[in-house]
Amino acid sequence: MSSEPLLRVENLKTQFFTNAGTVRAVDGISFEVHEGEIVGLVGESGAGKSVASMSLLRLVEHPGEIVAGEITYKGETLFGLEEGPDGELREREDMLSNKAVRDRIRGNEIAVIFQDPMESLNPVFTVGGQIREFIELNRDLSGKEAKQEAIDMLREVGIPDPEERYEEYPHQFSGGMRQRVLIAMALACEPSLIIADEPTTALDVTVEGQIIDLVDDLQEKYGTSFVWVTHDMGVVAEICDRVNVMYLGEIIEQAPVDELFYDTKHPYTQALLKSMPRPDRTVEELEPIEGVMPEAISPPSGCRFHPRCPDAREVCQRVHPEPKEVDRADGYPHNAACVKHDVFDVGYDESPPLEKEPQLTASTPGGEDGE
Amino acid sequence: MGLLRYTTYRLVQAIPVLIGVSILTFALANLTPGDPVRLMLQGQEADQETIERIEAQYGLDQPIHERYLTYMGGLVQGDMGHSFHRNASVAELITNRIGPTLLLVLSAYVFALATSIPLGIIAAKRRNDPFDHVSRIVALFGVSTPSFWIGIMLILIFAVQLGWLPSSDLVYPWWSPETYGHDGYGEHFYQVIRHLLLPMIALGTLQMATLMRVERTQMIESLQGEYVKLARAYGVPERTIMRKHAFQVAQLPIITIVGLNLSTALGGSVLIEFVFDINGLGRLFYEAIIQLDYQLIMGITMIIATMFVIGVVITDIAYAYIDPRVTYGESE
Ligand SMILES: Nc1ncnc2c1ncn2[C@@H]1O[C@H](COP(=O)(O)OP(=O)(O)OP(=O)(O)O)[C@@H](O)[C@H]1O
Ligand code: SF4
Ligand SMILES: [Mg+2]
Repeated sequence: MSSEPLLRVENLKTQFFTNAGTVRAVDGISFEVHEGEIVGLVGESGAGKSVASMSLLRLVEHPGEIVAGEITYKGETLFGLEEGPDGELREREDMLSNKAVRDRIRGNEIAVIFQDPMESLNPVFTVGGQIREFIELNRDLSGKEAKQEAIDMLREVGIPDPEERYEEYPHQFSGGMRQRVLIAMALACEPSLIIADEPTTALDVTVEGQIIDLVDDLQEKYGTSFVWVTHDMGVVAEICDRVNVMYLGEIIEQAPVDELFYDTKHPYTQALLKSMPRPDRTVEELEPIEGVMPEAISPPSGCRFHPRCPDAREVCQRVHPEPKEVDRADGYPHNAACVKHDVFDVGYDESPPLEKEPQLTASTPGGEDGE
Repeated sequence: MGLLRYTTYRLVQAIPVLIGVSILTFALANLTPGDPVRLMLQGQEADQETIERIEAQYGLDQPIHERYLTYMGGLVQGDMGHSFHRNASVAELITNRIGPTLLLVLSAYVFALATSIPLGIIAAKRRNDPFDHVSRIVALFGVSTPSFWIGIMLILIFAVQLGWLPSSDLVYPWWSPETYGHDGYGEHFYQVIRHLLLPMIALGTLQMATLMRVERTQMIESLQGEYVKLARAYGVPERTIMRKHAFQVAQLPIITIVGLNLSTALGGSVLIEFVFDINGLGRLFYEAIIQLDYQLIMGITMIIATMFVIGVVITDIAYAYIDPRVTYGESE
């Protein structure tokens, strides 16, 4: 915690300007990644995890745009706005140019692994050629050296006969093998940070386990930091050092992994954990989270989780909680955005519980007394 | 299987197709009304004996399957029979006329590909801006306007009104400059292009319009692929993505369409040959049909079928060459 973080994200906001209205996909998130850490970004589908990841590389697709916040990487400003003389927002002087981000950051410094290993590789080029291309682009190696490096990396991620496999095309690889290729690709560029956007979601459980073990080993060996995007708390427990839980574009809880699991501070995280399959639980004991996450285009007032929260009270409809430090562990803060904690001091305890509308999912764990 | 073996394999596969075509054409030609001997005599009266003698001379007294076998036997040796109307060998007639048609069709394709691919890519890149809308209108015009009408309009504008370009006949690049009284190869080549320009555009516009829309759609789809996102995330410049990563995948359907449209283009060239007064295979074919010149009809049909089959095989091979997912035949 003492040293300067590798990556610092402050109050990042990314929005999509669609015909139907503004989608606030990422709505003011802050987090840090330190050297050698695996930081989790967890949340349901649509929480804004992928948009947040792509924002870090300034690769938000049209009609999306980063509208606020600051991204600092190794002391350089990847994104930053300031107020101009007329009060309008403009890009800060020290913000890296598009060219600088493309040439010096993407691949060289921050690499990515995507969810779908079937679609992520180009079907008409050889696997080896694709790795080599990215190495040549991002490292000072000759074509021959880059090829050797690509072969070594394929071996490193556990692909048998890498010399032969180098010449093969993506369709000749299984899903798990392709994901290994994508990991090799990321590591081969020798970045300091890898963003892995649900890299195991498309794989079956056995393969997922193998890939996670592989990443765990390689991460230790190379000391690369990771932002690990997932919706699976089980994966988080296995691999992450610290975790950020996202809900509707916001980070609602932030803590080292043990604290998050054993001293959970936010009802949404609690609900996520209860819905997680575990060996000591039967399927009947799983509790799916009530209802579905609302659209980021019209988020609920107050605490965005209140329509689904078992602990919701009247005040939750009115007060929008920013994450605040509610505890400390290992020198890291444990932040939560829930007004039931004393630091918020908005009169949660006196507030009457909410009369709740019936939800789509069954199994309601109490808190429905009405007024 | 290597690419060379694949090519051979595909060509061998085409043989039964060609045999099928030959049987069908032969049967059709022999079932069409009009007695060939009477046609040969061109209205002269003749007694039964003369007719029978002529029939025997040309093997017309034999049953149809034997005549077919005789014909095919000649065909494999390059003998396509004799045209009585023109009193010339069919093979020779075709050889003299096939050049202009091939020149026309190939140049129309070159024109179509050279214009449609860049235009389609630009339209994909500037989706929904004015360029894209204009290109859509041009494409709609291109696919819905008959090529002969485009040809006539081009003649009216560029030959009649402006007088910039010739309106009829081609200059054959395979003839020597002296034949035309051209001053060396520079002028010869220049004249070849000048004569080719209008018919090439008239015939190629339909292909261009079709290919442009396909190119646009394919590029848009390819640009949205995860592999393009990945390339961007690794710092690949946008130009390289356009030219390499998105481009190559997008060309696969183009190749297929080029191959399949070959028949449309060959058909279209008949009309274009009339409009531009080109002495090609298309016109020969038309005349043969009008004159019920069976041997010639047979011969031209076989040639066109062969060209079409070869076109499809080349397409397949090109496809296999750039798409590694195509396995070559039975192995793998
Ligand atoms: N191109 C786009 N145009 C409009 N809205 C978008 C676009 N891309 C994403 N969004 C919206 O942004 C929000 C966050 O999407 P995002 O893809 O980041 O979710 P996610 O957390 O990665 O979910 P998943 O687990 O399904 O990958 C969603 O509401 C989504 O509809
Ligand atoms: S603020 Fe209220 S609604 Fe939101 S999580 Fe906390 S208790 Fe639930
Ligand atoms: Mg996602």
